[in-house]
Amino acid sequence: MFNKLKLNYISISFLPILVCIPLGCQLITNLHFEGFDLFKEFFISAFNPKIDDEIIISVINRLNETILISFFSWLVSIIFGVIFGILSSNIFYKIFNIPIFLNSIIRFFLTIIRSIHEVVWGILLMQIYGINYSIGIIAICIPYIAVNSKVFAEQLETIDYKSFESINQINAPKFSSLLTLIWNPIINTFKNFGLYRLECSIRSTVILGLFGIGGIGTSIFLSFQTLNFRELWTYLWSLAILIILSGLIFKKINFNNTNKIQSIFFIAVFFITILLSIPYFLYFVFNNNFENFNSVSTLFKSSSDLGLFDFLKLILETIILSLLSTGIAIGLPPLVIGIFNSNTSKILIRIFAFLLRLIPTPVMLLILLTFNNPSLSLAALTLGLHNAGITSKLLFTNLDSQDKRNYIAMKSLGISKKTSWLLGLFSQQAKSYLAYCAYRSDIIIRETAIVGVIGSVGLGWQLQESLSSFAWQEVTTVLLAYSSIAIIGELINGKIKDGLT
Amino acid sequence: MNNTLLELKNISYKYENNLILNKVNLKINSGEKIALLGKSGSGKTTLISVLNGTIKPTQGEVKLFNKSFEELDRKQKSKITTIWQDLRLIEDLSAEQNVNCGLLAEKSLYFAFKNLLNISSFKQAHKYMKLCRLHNSIYDKKIRKLSGGQKQRVAIARSLIQATNILLADEPFNNLDPKLISTIKKLLLENIDKNNIKSPKATLVALHRLDLLNDFDKVIGIRDGKIFFNIEKTKLKKFHLDKIY
Repeated sequence: MFNKLKLNYISISFLPILVCIPLGCQLITNLHFEGFDLFKEFFISAFNPKIDDEIIISVINRLNETILISFFSWLVSIIFGVIFGILSSNIFYKIFNIPIFLNSIIRFFLTIIRSIHEVVWGILLMQIYGINYSIGIIAICIPYIAVNSKVFAEQLETIDYKSFESINQINAPKFSSLLTLIWNPIINTFKNFGLYRLECSIRSTVILGLFGIGGIGTSIFLSFQTLNFRELWTYLWSLAILIILSGLIFKKINFNNTNKIQSIFFIAVFFITILLSIPYFLYFVFNNNFENFNSVSTLFKSSSDLGLFDFLKLILETIILSLLSTGIAIGLPPLVIGIFNSNTSKILIRIFAFLLRLIPTPVMLLILLTFNNPSLSLAALTLGLHNAGITSKLLFTNLDSQDKRNYIAMKSLGISKKTSWLLGLFSQQAKSYLAYCAYRSDIIIRETAIVGVIGSVGLGWQLQESLSSFAWQEVTTVLLAYSSIAIIGELINGKIKDGLT
Repeated sequence: MNNTLLELKNISYKYENNLILNKVNLKINSGEKIALLGKSGSGKTTLISVLNGTIKPTQGEVKLFNKSFEELDRKQKSKITTIWQDLRLIEDLSAEQNVNCGLLAEKSLYFAFKNLLNISSFKQAHKYMKLCRLHNSIYDKKIRKLSGGQKQRVAIARSLIQATNILLADEPFNNLDPKLISTIKKLLLENIDKNNIKSPKATLVALHRLDLLNDFDKVIGIRDGKIFFNIEKTKLKKFHLDKIY
């Protein structure tokens, strides 16, 4: 018999899909067919992308830019993520006997930084420094360092206290003790998490490209604006190849290697990245259009036309947008996989989920706008579908690696395939799936900024408006509101995650 | 001549209002092989933790080499080693890497780095592992893949490689078969330099099994955090044991 608790986790996984009822009602009301031909053309072009010399050269150039921005931002954010992860973990303070309150200060600082999405950082930096590739790298690095540091710190907290006591009792030099204790948790986290972060970095580079930073995102956006869908799909498929290839290369690298030269190479990369990135960052901040930097000093001086009521409405919209998107991202994958669980359906769902992850949310939103009026529901659907692509990948991975004996036993008893899947397979995964979704909803809150900018919804839209009109006080207010929502969301999700793990 | 290495003066330790150690006085002199007897929960592990400085007593003074712990530098503190009952090995590291951790106190950060990258010399570690009758097929195996007895011997090898003056051991013979117990007991208690192995100058071993008492020259009995007797082994009588069991 399955205990009540497991059934509860299962139902909690499916219940959020109920958000589709109000969402669907609004979407049906807003439906129009003027742009249906465009949608059809977009869909057909996926099977007939443009391939000629000109576009191949363009793809290579744009991919080079994308790889440059995403790889360096990934490398820097992982390395500094490790450093800040160590600085914000308890183990560091225990070994060096440093007052623990410093840890809380660093954690708070990092929480604020990661509460603002890289697109917001990018738009903000673009206003100050103009458009260049460095903006892309720095805009991604800032929140990514904070996100990575949280992940590394969480892993370092899992170090067995007895191992710490044992090493401490050997009375080795402090740095030797620290290194010995943290080495494996960090390497393991990097192996499990590094590839995912690389994918995230590529996706963020593409999204920043949509806002003009460069790389393949800019070409995708230009192709979309000129309604050249065949060209658009050439860029999208090449992006897919890049993501798949980067995954294959990452998996090929043996990070456990005992090869001395390879070890020295990794360590050299680590230290050279630190040595070069700090001066590069300082040079960027103080030598790049420094006159524009002064305009930030007016952050608290300029006036704001944003009324309190409008502002509260925008906050409410952002919260509703986050909740609706989270509902879709949590509920859709188990529902679809549960209903269509034949082998062929699973392959199709995997491909569809990959496409949902591949197509940047602003492009997806613009496609959906071809047959639906802009609305909060449409923005929520876009964000929800994109994140459902990500949560379904995780669910598939976990289900694939799970012991299937329960499922097989249930099927052999004559129980239907769907019920066996639900109770024999999914029930074992529901808890960890929900814990991951709690983490994912943190990201969804931040991502509301992207769809907000395109879909005229919430604080994201207001931020774009305020930045365009150089209303710096409004920008500050919106950023503070964003930050507060994200931090409160993170606290709530943290509690949920703690309860689930 | 009695050369005191470690001394506890009127030590008490309270944890959540429970008195775990009650006014304990104890001296460990050079050349002594002490067996610490007592029931489960009598305070043996806490006493060992106080002796090695892992926990600070609520009251009293601990002196190592006639100095309090606060006065000692890192190198001096490292002259005391412990084999914990729960072993406290680093699960993600291999057996040989764990044994090499015993050398961290006397080596530099560079050595720690090389140890983690698996590019340091394991010659010394292998020597101690061999003495502890560990087969070379398990040297590079992760701790989590070893049996209880193998883990136990890795922990013992790690402590012995430290070449310390004082060895404290909390139930070190758990998980070992009689033949291995005899080998390990010799390693822990024979104060001779054999095969370039430096044995500790003094050893205190917490025990449950009374049949293992031979080879010890002193016996301490503890009950409810209080030392009931601290006598030479030859003077140990049944009534002594009745007091603590």
